[in-house]
Amino acid sequence: MNVGVAHSEVNPNTRVMNSRGMWLTYALGVGMLHIVLLSIPFFSVPVAWTLTNVIHNLGMYVFLHAVKGTPFETPDQGKARLLTHWEQLDYGVQFTSSRKFFTISPIILYFLASFYTKYDPTHFILNTTSLLTVLIPKLPQLHGVRLFGINKY
Amino acid sequence: MEGPERAAAALGAQLRANGCSGASHGTLRNGYVRGLPAPDTQINHIVHNGGLYKRPFNEAFEETPMLVAVLTYVGYGVLTVFGYLRDFMRRWKIEKCQNATEREEQKDFVPLYQDFENFYTRNLYMRIRDSWNRPICSVPGAKVDMMERVSHDYNWTFTYTGRVIKDIINMGSYNYLGFAQKAGTCQEAAAKVLSQYGAGVCSTRQEMGNLDKHEELEKLVARFLGVESAMAYGMGFATNSMNIPALVGKGCLILSDELNHASLVVGARLSGATIRIFKHNNMQSLEKLLKDAIVHGQPRTRRPWKKILILVEGIYSMEGSIVRLPEVIALKKKYKSYLYLDEAHSIGALGPNGRGVVEYFGLSPEDVDVMMGTFTKSFGAAGGYIGGKKELIDYLRTYSHSAVYATSLSPPVVEQIITSMKCIMGEDGTAVGKARIQQLAENTRYFRRRLKEMGFIIYGNEDSPVVPLMLYMPAKIGAFGREMLKRNIGVVVVGFPATPIIESRARFCLSAAHTKEMLDTALKEINEVGDLLQLKYSRRRLVPLLDRPFDETTYEETED
Repeated sequence: MNVGVAHSEVNPNTRVMNSRGMWLTYALGVGMLHIVLLSIPFFSVPVAWTLTNVIHNLGMYVFLHAVKGTPFETPDQGKARLLTHWEQLDYGVQFTSSRKFFTISPIILYFLASFYTKYDPTHFILNTTSLLTVLIPKLPQLHGVRLFGINKY
Repeated sequence: MEGPERAAAALGAQLRANGCSGASHGTLRNGYVRGLPAPDTQINHIVHNGGLYKRPFNEAFEETPMLVAVLTYVGYGVLTVFGYLRDFMRRWKIEKCQNATEREEQKDFVPLYQDFENFYTRNLYMRIRDSWNRPICSVPGAKVDMMERVSHDYNWTFTYTGRVIKDIINMGSYNYLGFAQKAGTCQEAAAKVLSQYGAGVCSTRQEMGNLDKHEELEKLVARFLGVESAMAYGMGFATNSMNIPALVGKGCLILSDELNHASLVVGARLSGATIRIFKHNNMQSLEKLLKDAIVHGQPRTRRPWKKILILVEGIYSMEGSIVRLPEVIALKKKYKSYLYLDEAHSIGALGPNGRGVVEYFGLSPEDVDVMMGTFTKSFGAAGGYIGGKKELIDYLRTYSHSAVYATSLSPPVVEQIITSMKCIMGEDGTAVGKARIQQLAENTRYFRRRLKEMGFIIYGNEDSPVVPLMLYMPAKIGAFGREMLKRNIGVVVVGFPATPIIESRARFCLSAAHTKEMLDTALKEINEVGDLLQLKYSRRRLVPLLDRPFDETTYEETED
């Protein structure tokens, strides 16, 4: 009922990615991850880049496309309980600026990783599959689609 | 504290003399600037707007510094990671799970609890839970006594130590005019009425609950507001949620402010009308919505709307902003719609005679179609009222849900309202009411000025007694509440999801019962805690006023 809440926004999760500084924090977070991986002496530069790409895509898949619902109660009677965060963004409106940003950023990371791994075949396969796992769920045609009943309820 | 006092008095004197108020540079989110500045005054970002405003409208919402926003997200990220870790440990029984779960036998069935929806409550709210729901054991006036409690399992359970913390300065109660007292004329009158009428009639207004006290109250409220007629209800929330459905229905349009209170939102949803939301206090957004509504009509049929109702509040209690009433009324008249003004926080607190936001702007109460308010904040009682034309109130007496089904106001509460209202109006023969209103205005100006000088980011209008102080980071919410309690000051802190994710705040509510010494003590402690927690984010520092009269050549107010 929005009781105890100072706004009439039904689901605050829809606006989180548009808030001030969120994109910058995300970019800084990816940068920090990469620096940490580069500091580990066992990893060569190509391995560090592929690992950055893979770990970033894994994290993005889990938080945007696997976890469903909201971590707080909302007054929308459970409409968002079966939706992943990506599907909740901007109440399902496609092609908003946040969605474009989060679609483009794994692609940029993929380009960088491909360059730094010198297009090595093993790295290429790893990076491409990982990119596909994170790009395909973002397609508007897959809004609300659950393949093989995985993650349906 | 001679200097600031004289400076504040000088500032106050100048404000009344030439109508100029403290100007600030910097980015403004909702500032609406128009009109020619007067040649010999230093005015930036103050609304003049062709004479609609008779006094400067100075509202500011300084933007979050980028570094603070990034650190806030990092804070929430760390808390989320730890939350997942703790949930994992609880799942695998490494850590004891202390919230409600199903029994082992029921785990194979469809789950009873939606675990993820309580993630925030379990992992963030529980850690800082001791800043809320604190048990008090005296009347919450300017000072309050609190039962001390400790927790040995990180706020999952509390035990009382037995000690009572006495005389905590109360900056959290909506006690704007200081009528939350346990002794005085209001209390004596209410006690007399209690012995005469009893505690309540337990009946609705339309059956047996209509006492002569209610009629007396309603005539008094109508006289206080300057409207033809008024009706009083037992609950402020219910006044909104039960009367908006009586006024609008299907086929009507409600234009509601972004930050309207839950009661208005519930009432709007219950009515069945179409709801469109305009940006907070943003008149361009409202005008665009009005134009679109009138041009395009109802969504599919394109028929004209039966009614357009604009829902606004006098003071928004979470932002401290005051509605731009002159512009809203101008728009309402231009597009022939109706205005519903919820003065829950502004009645008694604004205006030279305490008549609310309509008097504050110098407008006529006839321009507002439905004037709603509550008796909870400035009058120290309970309940709400609606005031307006006689036909409107007669209609509500018949058709309002509260009138038909809800119990009427309790007689001692009615007497408290009557006595306090007469005190504010000055009809009890003393000048106490007027003194309280002036004390509140002075407290507001002084407190806001001092906090801005210290360098905190304060939201809202210069004249609003609700002062939100921005904290931003989740850990600082808990830290601020606890540190202030250690120093014997009780404050209200608010965080996500009640506010947008990066805008957690502490909210001070000033009262006429606060003396200058109390405010100075509070300000000293806030200053200390601000230094300790590094809360002084503001990048526009107001230089304290020089101790001489306003002189254009020497007066330098802001330094960038």
